[in-house]
Amino acid sequence: MKSSWIIFFNIIFFQTLVANTIHVGSNYPVKSIKKAISIAKAGDTIIVNKGTYREGNIVIDKKIVFLGKNLPILDGQDKNEVLSVKADSVVVKGFKLINSGHAALEDPCGIKVYNKTFVRIYDNVLDNNFFGIYLQNCNNCIVKGNTIVAYGKAEQLIGNGIHCWKSDNLQIIANTISGHRDGIYFEFVTNSVIWRNISTNNIRYGLHFMFSNDDSYITNVFKNNGAGVAVMFSKKVKMFNNYFEENWGDSAYGLLLKEIADSYIFNNKFVKNTSGIYMEGTTRIKVEKNEFVSNGWGMKIQASCMDNEIVNNNYLKNTFDISTNGSLVLNTFNSNYWDKYEGYDLDKNGVGDVPYHPLSLFAVLTETNASTILLYRSFMITLLDKSEKVLPSITPDNFIDKTPLMKSLPL
Amino acid sequence: MKLLFANLFVLFVLVSCSSDEPKPIKLNSDACDFCKMTISNGKFGAELITEKGRFYKFDDVTCMVQFAKSNTVVAYKYYYVSDYSKDNTLIIAEQSFFLKGGAISSPMRGNTIAFSTKKEALAFQQKFNAELKTWKEIYSSY
Repeated sequence: MKSSWIIFFNIIFFQTLVANTIHVGSNYPVKSIKKAISIAKAGDTIIVNKGTYREGNIVIDKKIVFLGKNLPILDGQDKNEVLSVKADSVVVKGFKLINSGHAALEDPCGIKVYNKTFVRIYDNVLDNNFFGIYLQNCNNCIVKGNTIVAYGKAEQLIGNGIHCWKSDNLQIIANTISGHRDGIYFEFVTNSVIWRNISTNNIRYGLHFMFSNDDSYITNVFKNNGAGVAVMFSKKVKMFNNYFEENWGDSAYGLLLKEIADSYIFNNKFVKNTSGIYMEGTTRIKVEKNEFVSNGWGMKIQASCMDNEIVNNNYLKNTFDISTNGSLVLNTFNSNYWDKYEGYDLDKNGVGDVPYHPLSLFAVLTETNASTILLYRSFMITLLDKSEKVLPSITPDNFIDKTPLMKSLPL
Repeated sequence: MKLLFANLFVLFVLVSCSSDEPKPIKLNSDACDFCKMTISNGKFGAELITEKGRFYKFDDVTCMVQFAKSNTVVAYKYYYVSDYSKDNTLIIAEQSFFLKGGAISSPMRGNTIAFSTKKEALAFQQKFNAELKTWKEIYSSY
């Protein structure tokens, strides 16, 4: 008799713990999302059915799972932040968030997370928002599989696709971003990973790092952005397997490195950029097994860089492989393949017997006087370049690869 | 007569060379001459004109001050800063009123904005919880 009472109370007790599912839609008792959130308890699931919801700024202030069925549309009507997350462990999945509005002083977003942890944002479509997804002071959050589109014009102020500020342990995975200012922007973000994203046609940078240490970005595509990718004022950043393509323009670079230390650039492809990599004030960076194809300049290494190691890269079909602005050489170049190398390999060990000078005379001339590019490929310049290779006078003579490879590396 | 025209022409060319007016900043196209970043926000920008008439553009007032201080060889003629209350409009730094710190967030974290009148600056001071500064204070703070 006593045990049956215990069972009875247990049933009642656990009944109250079971999470509820609240449906929102025109065919359901709850018609409004705000109503559903107000009646929901922590741990509940809200399923929003297909339709267009114009409810202004929706605030999630409880630990709930917020799901969209068949991509329901949340419309900010050009004047509101669409969705604000102000609770830990919220899941937002399967919505289409549109028209957050444009404002110069506030930063209206598609989805903004305020100082929370373990928030997950999956498989949403964001269209025409000022900022796409904004994580402010968040830890352990995941942003995955979102499609973020905006229509920024050149002379217009617009926010970033995925903007992360002062956060730790983030995962930005498999998102597609276009038409924002910076596709992905990291500022004061640590221990985070950016993996398998596609960032194209953004007005400024495909990816932008500022003051963010111990991060890595792996297997991303950055194509046709205003000025490529910028990694600035950061330490210990790992950059693996990325594609940097078609970033053309006066101040555009495949990858712009400024004040970076202790980083590792491995197995990336730089194709058809004005400059593949531009380095200024970088120290202790290893550039290994990358491919530089059809760039204006493969790498521009400013004299302020030191202790960088450039090893086992392929330089193919670039107008200039390397260029620099000074005579100081504090970096090492070893065992790269240069398609302009004209040496020989008598002992057949795959390594050229004469060192290669990757810095051509003309690269030095154009660096100091840009208009000399007019004389490129003229007879005199070719002659001077040849004589410079034999007896270096203008180019620094210690700027050499002592073991140039005879065959390109299979990368 | 011909000589006169030729002289006038030369004079005209020379006059048109040295302009005191700042060149407008082309957003998302011009790069900052100090930090190399593309300038994308016309509210925080700055511009420097040298005695010889060369222009340098910056995305942040901090960048301009640091650039100016790192180079002591070239003489500078004008310092321009963006007016925060307008879109991408440059005003003379010495005559501007500055706000620094608080909730202001500029591209290179100099967190400094400028206004052409003190009234506007005071109005925004409350909003940002920032400090009112003069150009001299801003210049000497880096």
